[in-house]
Amino acid sequence: MPVTGPAVLSVSGLGKSFPGVRALDGVDFTARAGEVHALIGENGAGKSTLIKVLTGVYRPSDGVVRYDGSAVRFATPLQAQHAGISTIYQEVNLVPLMSVARNLFLGREPRGRLGLIDFRRMHREADEALRGLGVRVDVRRPLRELGVGAQQMVALARAVSVDARVVVMDEPTSSLEPREVATLFEVIRMLRGRGIAVIYVSHRLDELYEVCDTVTVLRDGKAVHTGPIAELDRLRLVSLMLGRDIGDVREEGLTKFSGSHDTEAQPVLEATELTVRHQLAGVSLTIRPGEVVGLGGLLGSGRSETAKAIAGALPPDSGRVVVAGVPVRTGSTPAAIRAGVSLLPEDRKAEGIVPGLSVRENIALAALPGLSRFGLVDEARIDRVVDTFMKRLRIKASGPHQKVGELSGGNQQKVLLARWLAMNPKVLLLDEPTRGIDVGAKAEVQKLIDELADDGLGVLLISSDTEELIEGSDRVVVLKDGKVVEELTGDAVTEDRLMRAIAAAPAARDTPAASGGDDD
Amino acid sequence: MKPNTFFRRISDRTSGHAAGRASGRVSATTLLAAGLAASLALTATGCAKSEDDDSGASGDSKSGASEGDAGQVASSPSAGADTCVIGDYGAKKLDLKSATVGFSQSEKEANPFRIAETASIKAEADKRGVKLLTANAQSQFSKQISDVQDLIAKGADLLVIAPLNSDGWEPVLRQAKAKHIPIVTIDRKINAAPCKDYVSFIGSDFVEQGRRAADRMIAATGGKGEVAILLGAAGNNVTTDRTKGFEQQIEKKAPDLKVVFKQTGEFAREKGQQVTEQLIQSKPGIDGIYAENDEMGLGAVGALKGAGKKAGDVKIVTIDGTKNAVRGIVDGWIDGVIESNPRFGPLAFQTLDTFTKGGEVAQDIVIEDSAYTKDNADSDLGKAY
Amino acid sequence: MTDIGLGGRTRLDRDRLLRLLQDYGVHLGVAVLLLVNIAFTPHFLSAENFRTQAVQVAPVMIVALGMALAIGSEGVDLSVGSVMALSTSLLSLYLGYGMWIALLVAVLGGIAVGVANGALIAYIGVQPIVATLALMVAGRGLALVLLPQLKDVRDPTMASLGSGDLLGIPYLVLIAVGLALLVAFVVRRTTFGRQLLAIGDSRPAAKLAGLPVRRVLILVYVCSGALAAIAGVLATARLTASDPTSLGNLMELSAITAVVVGGTPLSGGRVRIGGTVAGAVLIQLLTATLIKHDVSPSWTQIAQAVVIILAVYAARERGRR
Repeated sequence: MPVTGPAVLSVSGLGKSFPGVRALDGVDFTARAGEVHALIGENGAGKSTLIKVLTGVYRPSDGVVRYDGSAVRFATPLQAQHAGISTIYQEVNLVPLMSVARNLFLGREPRGRLGLIDFRRMHREADEALRGLGVRVDVRRPLRELGVGAQQMVALARAVSVDARVVVMDEPTSSLEPREVATLFEVIRMLRGRGIAVIYVSHRLDELYEVCDTVTVLRDGKAVHTGPIAELDRLRLVSLMLGRDIGDVREEGLTKFSGSHDTEAQPVLEATELTVRHQLAGVSLTIRPGEVVGLGGLLGSGRSETAKAIAGALPPDSGRVVVAGVPVRTGSTPAAIRAGVSLLPEDRKAEGIVPGLSVRENIALAALPGLSRFGLVDEARIDRVVDTFMKRLRIKASGPHQKVGELSGGNQQKVLLARWLAMNPKVLLLDEPTRGIDVGAKAEVQKLIDELADDGLGVLLISSDTEELIEGSDRVVVLKDGKVVEELTGDAVTEDRLMRAIAAAPAARDTPAASGGDDD
Repeated sequence: MKPNTFFRRISDRTSGHAAGRASGRVSATTLLAAGLAASLALTATGCAKSEDDDSGASGDSKSGASEGDAGQVASSPSAGADTCVIGDYGAKKLDLKSATVGFSQSEKEANPFRIAETASIKAEADKRGVKLLTANAQSQFSKQISDVQDLIAKGADLLVIAPLNSDGWEPVLRQAKAKHIPIVTIDRKINAAPCKDYVSFIGSDFVEQGRRAADRMIAATGGKGEVAILLGAAGNNVTTDRTKGFEQQIEKKAPDLKVVFKQTGEFAREKGQQVTEQLIQSKPGIDGIYAENDEMGLGAVGALKGAGKKAGDVKIVTIDGTKNAVRGIVDGWIDGVIESNPRFGPLAFQTLDTFTKGGEVAQDIVIEDSAYTKDNADSDLGKAY
Repeated sequence: MTDIGLGGRTRLDRDRLLRLLQDYGVHLGVAVLLLVNIAFTPHFLSAENFRTQAVQVAPVMIVALGMALAIGSEGVDLSVGSVMALSTSLLSLYLGYGMWIALLVAVLGGIAVGVANGALIAYIGVQPIVATLALMVAGRGLALVLLPQLKDVRDPTMASLGSGDLLGIPYLVLIAVGLALLVAFVVRRTTFGRQLLAIGDSRPAAKLAGLPVRRVLILVYVCSGALAAIAGVLATARLTASDPTSLGNLMELSAITAVVVGGTPLSGGRVRIGGTVAGAVLIQLLTATLIKHDVSPSWTQIAQAVVIILAVYAARERGRR
């Protein structure tokens, strides 16, 4: 599928800095008319920053944005929109209480005499526009009465009907049913036929190969590859995203992990067929005491959701969790904690630490009832516990009374580890334990994880850093689209195998078209 | 760090973590909450035992209009005032005895004034043997409109209305007009044409009440010294009128009497007490306190007692004429109470009687409010409401 | 953020000054008002005057203590004024059994409203402002159903509770101070207090840490309801009358003002009891000053508004850092 259309929207040498972070660094990117351009990359690669620059949300620190050949600077998203750049976000951003038709024509309603809204014309045109996308709804109904997929379609119809020349889609399929995905792809192909440039962001590799022409891979704020997607096999694509070359010689000892642990004992954690609509499609895994099990997969494959479902923070629609032979009530954090399951969440700042409280209070938080008598806090016991763990985990703070919000990321992570270790857990679920912390602290945390496993804890390790995942884990369970696609054990725990597993084409996935006919 | 709690809450909820699980509990918890409120109300009244139940004094808090002869007397259908006769209004003569009268009360019967007002209408209807229909709008104007329409539908030949608002009466007036029903409004006026849309208005003159309170204060203090005013609720015409009358009269009759303090007590006893406490701290030499209603006056009495003052140290004059205030005169704490008479029954029925017989009635009937002083408080205690 | 390079030191000083002002501004305000009054208000420096101010502020302060807990949990309790009214109605209704039984019933009423508030917020997920608004309306309504109009209280125990004293200190003031110490102790030394602060600071983190979020929230509103009911009983004792029509009107606003002026951030995670007490005293002194100088009532409201704006402005500065 040769792409010959002229460049519509392009950037060159684009840089964007935030305090302390270089989010984009000399990125070149070109969207052409009649092209579906995939934009991919792992967390922190700079995708969303790039999109926000393209759509006028952020202004670039340096570099040039060209639209139709001339340099532009959009001051607001609205300006970009008026210029012909439409965006469809993951979360539908329309007005839920207004009718479908009103939403479609918001801000550009057809006017009749006296400047009043011509409702009849609006309803007729809205109906036509949606039919064109294969959606049949009463356009007079409030938008919120529609399903998420239909709402997404309305957003799409709106984007298309404003005479857009560029349509940006940020993970448009994350909450769609297969049938709706099929419709979406048809619309995308139609847009391409009309000569519109589509920028498509998704983590689902299958979708990229199905609908995209060109791909740009971002990593650490740089565009590391641009080219026709057909010329790039899956494995190569995954290795570009993860920044690991297949041919690389694996250097041992780069991380602080020591190697394998005892894996003979009975499982301390058995999770069976965990299912959460749109997120997990029956994930099963086991962890033995003293074992570190890695959870691999791309962003959006269901890694964090699996951890949360086990920890009771995400109520599963179905599935069981058994800890040390005893079933645990799902969907209840306290129940999971009582059973000995502790979760170090991915979003440390929002869901982990209590920033306004001191190191001491944060460490004692979960264990507080055990450190109290008759509801009164036993300060002396807390002091002892806090002192023990601050020393053992080498937490660097001005003292136990410093606010956790003021600590470095690595020390915040250690405080959270201390909070859980004070509970004597059986299973630790670590979601990106070393993200965003400096090199020295990273090594320390990795070493700690090793020590904890040696002490007999079962550890689930989630990491986007493949090196960390491979070296730290005794076993790696690979997820894709909310399903376990492979389990790597023993000698198979290598980066090469991991990437092959992630890149593997779907075995017998229902094609969207096939499942579409059932409902009507 | 957390710019907007409420919006965050909303997004937390819509993100769906809790929503699914919560819905199952919604009905149960709603039931729980409703049940709690209901059972509280039940138990609260079920085995309640207030002080009155065993004190034997229950009679005096619920006094009707039947005690004493405290019906109103008109003070101003004076010569030359506009009047109304049945021919001008366009109604037919009828005999009041065989007629049905509808009465629409505006506010909840939660204060002595409203209680006495309704009781007076009922008592007078009983006395005259007239069939009376009553309704209470519970302080909701829309309810009052439908109340009156109901009264008309139920066959009221004559209407007595205590309006909640002055405006918004057109639909009712039109309906009444179509059926030629005479209307008398009491205690508040409505904005419409007298003797066309309604017959007469019977009510008090609040400015005059203020003047008479000033006269009382002048007599009590000897026309010299410093007095304080406890204002009613701000932005209320009763407050402005009672203040205006008092100040004008003081200025005219007793220039040596100075108003040195004007603070609102919001017509409530507690506020009256608090403000008076501040007053007697900063102006210990105050000679008199004019309270624009009885409740604030009683609050002032409480404050004076608390500060160790003796009855009569500070002269207090109040307006309304509730039983508690009049008892205050008997006890010596209050010097005078200007009555704002709620007993509209006799005068209202008298007006209707005269009118339906074809007689001439005034369009504006200002009632004469009596007053309580040391001389009559004891004997007239029964007249207070 | 832009001026890090230049004059980092002056910035530091400004920051520290700002923080001091946030933490102790309310005490400074009280001190200033006291000095102004001593200088300009006749008869201000008398035991009798201080007694009056202390007695008047006691109910507001007690309500504000409960409000501080609600606000510390990142919520608010608008129903406190209605709970006072409900409390006075119940008190009057049960006074025939003697003061202690009546007091117990009144406080139980407050607790029941607290349970309803807490259940709506913790289980159904209604926003605190909406849930407590509903109970604010319902509570006042119930109070008026139980006791439609003002009723005198003649019980001698109640009268002495309202106007008696111990060694020259009025009972009301002693009770208010005792409750303030109790609440301060609860916040500082109990599991409940610690959990409350964690929930107020970061609800998601508290949930993931397995804290009994619902139980704590319900307890918060139960405390607030009980304290408001006690305040209602004390106000009734002082007035020697139950007046459900006006008792507690706009009390929620006074209490919120005291809490916010006292330096407790509306975003939760922090409860300053000392500041709340000082905040209530500040508002009381401000009102007293204006009344004593016979300033028009509308100015009193404007002055209160200015104080609130200053306090919120200071809090906003904190939030931005």
